[in-house]
Amino acid sequence: MTSSDTSFDLVRRRLWAALRDTGPVIASRPLEIQPRGMLDAPSIRAADVIEDTQMRAHAVSGPLEPRFDAFLDGSQLTLVARWQGVIPIVFGTVSAAIRQRRERRLSTWGAPLVRRALYAPMSQLDRDVARVLNEMGVAVVDTLERREPDSGHPFALQELAYQAVLADRERVETELAVRWCERERGVLYLDGGISGSATVARAANVVGVIKSHQTLYAEGDALAVVSALTTGQRSSVVRIESSRRTSVASWYLRVADAAGRDPFWGLVRVEVALDDDRSALGRRADDVSRWILAERLPLALPDPRWDKMAYGIRDAEEYLRAVQ
Amino acid sequence: MSSPIMGRVVATEKKPNTAHEFHFWTSLDSPVGIGTIVRVDGERPVNGQLPRIYGIVVEGFSYTDLLSPIHDVLGHDGAPETAAQAATLRAEIRLYTAHVLRQIPDEPLQPVPMGTVALASDEDVAVALRMDTYLKAGTNTGIPCGLYRAGAMEAPIYLDAEFLMGPEAAHLNISGVSGLATKTSAVEWLLSSIFTHFPENKGSVAAVCFNVKGPDLLFLDKPGTLDDADHAIYDKLGVPAKPFERVRYFAPYTAQGFSINTLRSNEALSHNLSPLTWGLNEVMQFAEVLLNRDDVDAKADAFIDFLQERVINREFRDPVLSSPHRVRSFGELEQFFRDLLRGMEDRSSGEHWRTHHVATIRKVRNRLSNISTRCAGLVTDEGAVSDLPFGSFEDRTVYVVDVASVEEDAQDLIFARVVSKLREHLERRDLGVSHVIVFVDELNKYAPADGPDTYVRKMLLDISERGRYLGLVLFSAQQFRSQVHRRVPGNSGTSLYGRMDMDELATPGYAVLSPATRTKLATLEKGQLMVRHPHFAQPIFVRFPRPAVMRGRDGAEQFPPATDLAIDVAVMRSLRQLDSAVSLDWVKRTIAGHEEADVLRARNETLRTKPANVKSFFESRFRKIVPTEPVAVPVAVPIRALKGDDPYGF
Repeated sequence: MTSSDTSFDLVRRRLWAALRDTGPVIASRPLEIQPRGMLDAPSIRAADVIEDTQMRAHAVSGPLEPRFDAFLDGSQLTLVARWQGVIPIVFGTVSAAIRQRRERRLSTWGAPLVRRALYAPMSQLDRDVARVLNEMGVAVVDTLERREPDSGHPFALQELAYQAVLADRERVETELAVRWCERERGVLYLDGGISGSATVARAANVVGVIKSHQTLYAEGDALAVVSALTTGQRSSVVRIESSRRTSVASWYLRVADAAGRDPFWGLVRVEVALDDDRSALGRRADDVSRWILAERLPLALPDPRWDKMAYGIRDAEEYLRAVQ
Repeated sequence: MSSPIMGRVVATEKKPNTAHEFHFWTSLDSPVGIGTIVRVDGERPVNGQLPRIYGIVVEGFSYTDLLSPIHDVLGHDGAPETAAQAATLRAEIRLYTAHVLRQIPDEPLQPVPMGTVALASDEDVAVALRMDTYLKAGTNTGIPCGLYRAGAMEAPIYLDAEFLMGPEAAHLNISGVSGLATKTSAVEWLLSSIFTHFPENKGSVAAVCFNVKGPDLLFLDKPGTLDDADHAIYDKLGVPAKPFERVRYFAPYTAQGFSINTLRSNEALSHNLSPLTWGLNEVMQFAEVLLNRDDVDAKADAFIDFLQERVINREFRDPVLSSPHRVRSFGELEQFFRDLLRGMEDRSSGEHWRTHHVATIRKVRNRLSNISTRCAGLVTDEGAVSDLPFGSFEDRTVYVVDVASVEEDAQDLIFARVVSKLREHLERRDLGVSHVIVFVDELNKYAPADGPDTYVRKMLLDISERGRYLGLVLFSAQQFRSQVHRRVPGNSGTSLYGRMDMDELATPGYAVLSPATRTKLATLEKGQLMVRHPHFAQPIFVRFPRPAVMRGRDGAEQFPPATDLAIDVAVMRSLRQLDSAVSLDWVKRTIAGHEEADVLRARNETLRTKPANVKSFFESRFRKIVPTEPVAVPVAVPIRALKGDDPYGF
């Protein structure tokens, strides 16, 4: 079955053909744009300051030098293909691509990764329906395999599917980043964190840039320092540790003037591999910050996240939108 | 050889493809431009055949992923110089719109499908323009008109002789701004190409070119300057880069009548220059051209008809006349009028003669006598005729009629009579050739879109509508096509466009062209043309070489026109064309004591007769002058001598 044979519309039609007891879903909105309550609740996590004794602001000086050779981004699209009673059967598409920069033009490095699958709580489905899903010729992911729903609410099941798709997206992003690390020496700008894979987290040529601040790694006075960063300033480097992830070095960097806006406007968090030489961490943070600041031109407009987004990432997103 | 893929067809709801138009994108460095011919290879078979579509690019678009220009301004803080610092160049697209030239298979005619796009190869161009139908070996009727260029490709473009020279369609019209020599150059090049490639089985062809301004067409037999690029085009198109081998020039005399009224009057070029002079008979057939229709009313018209039917070229007797008259020239016509009017006065026969009022007679006399004055140099009082060789036209020969220095009335007369004679002879199939190309520049003067319906305009319309059946082909040129009577270019099967004026391109006649095509037309280089031809579904752009003939300006510098000649020098030059032994001394001796009019009459008769013994014939044209004898002057003898100084001293 080719990728075109597993398009959302085709899968939806096949499901309807196989399970004619109810009508097909006529219109479906991506779950990404639907309100999902407080499921992505903001949180604050502790992080050790490893550059200074306490969090402080550092001005990033020196010429801005674009050093990134490529940009990696992932994308996902999650649509309900069918309601089997009150149980959602979700069709998810995840993809990731690296856009390599040569002569200031971006082109695709290697082949993008695009994967499609049906996500459903298999044990809650009728046996005949489960069989039909398995015979659809498209991968099927049991959403109950990894997590339990918070409740029996249909939307809780839907959220499980969404999280499963999100995990698959991170998986393809990591897979592609690992390929880059194995084959290339150029510096990769990765949209998001790098700690999901030990290979990537330890690679000296990968820089993760996180735009979202649902999880903060500063509180109290440290958070005050971070929120007060002005354009071209970075925070002290901190170590981010997690039991399931590889530890990385991280710092906040203000890339756009936030005057008159919320404190997180134009603020990104950068992740790089930890270096045993602590004295080198500050220099590395300055270098990488200069590289990121150099990506401010051209602006990622018209994307609404242009204050934090590098143009290379916007380009990768547009590319994925075209191919997925 | 298949060309590499350089684009893909694309269609959206806002920009869908149709059966006649499609869109495609290319890489930023592709050699595609306005006028490029492309080939689309469809990916899904239709009736078992993969569709192949040929198109010509008519519009191009370029844009980035920006929604608004203000985003770019913001991105650079309003400082354009910072653009060079951008780490990445924005995603950019080259999107082109093409008009369909041909679809294969022809049926079913469907919207252009998705597929790959490649530059058209030589073979593709031939198929796209349907040239394959007339370039088959054995039935090849192709006339090279230029090279189509795209990227590294160069494809010859051929016109179909059946549609250029008739009978299927015919005629060619060329538009372009003045001063670039595109129109004249294109016609000279095309004539060379036609003379080389006109199929043997279609008969013979000659050209009659009216030189209406400057020295444009006066050095067609002299080699011009060509560069390597020109030679390459000549080689590729199989046309020898040589001037025309057979050219003959015709021009009226100056009003004085001594020398021929042309810028090609250098003595070194006189071998193929002939005078163009007509007498009463030649002019009366086309008197309508010269007579103002508002002035010549029905009564005058009736009297002119009477003269033509009853008086001219026959012996005419009438009691009013003092003697019989045989009118063969304007001079004899004037004698007839003088005799008639005197007779009417002497005999007091009233105010009418044969129902014609005396005022009408005087008016017609005035208007007709005026013709030889208005067209002095072309029309002669004594009726001498030197004309184009109607009946013995030669194949692949150019006949240039230089009317550039002639009064407007005389231009009209020359134009009307020459074309009418060509038509008469072609109808009778006795011209000497089976096809004649008539080249007329400044068509907006001879066939204007508005203004009076002149004889010349009617004649041009007639040629353009019916000439192709006779082999009479009109090649016309003008600066502003919109100012020419629409039926003339409208009947031209083939149209060429050089660089155009933007104001002209804004007229409705060019609305069918895309804005990009119009812009390209306004900026065409010298040597580039846009071609419309019945086989081509869309206009295409070609390059043509400089003509292999001397430019008029160069010719005028290299062969400066002769200054005003004395009558003896003028006669010597004329007679030397027939006999190189004619010397200036001999001419001076021969014409000494004779009136200028007699000298010119003798010269004209000699040139017309082309006698074996030029000198004796020329001498025989003069009346003998009785030599004067010296008279002895008588010596005056005073009657009587006076004494002293006293006058009163008797």
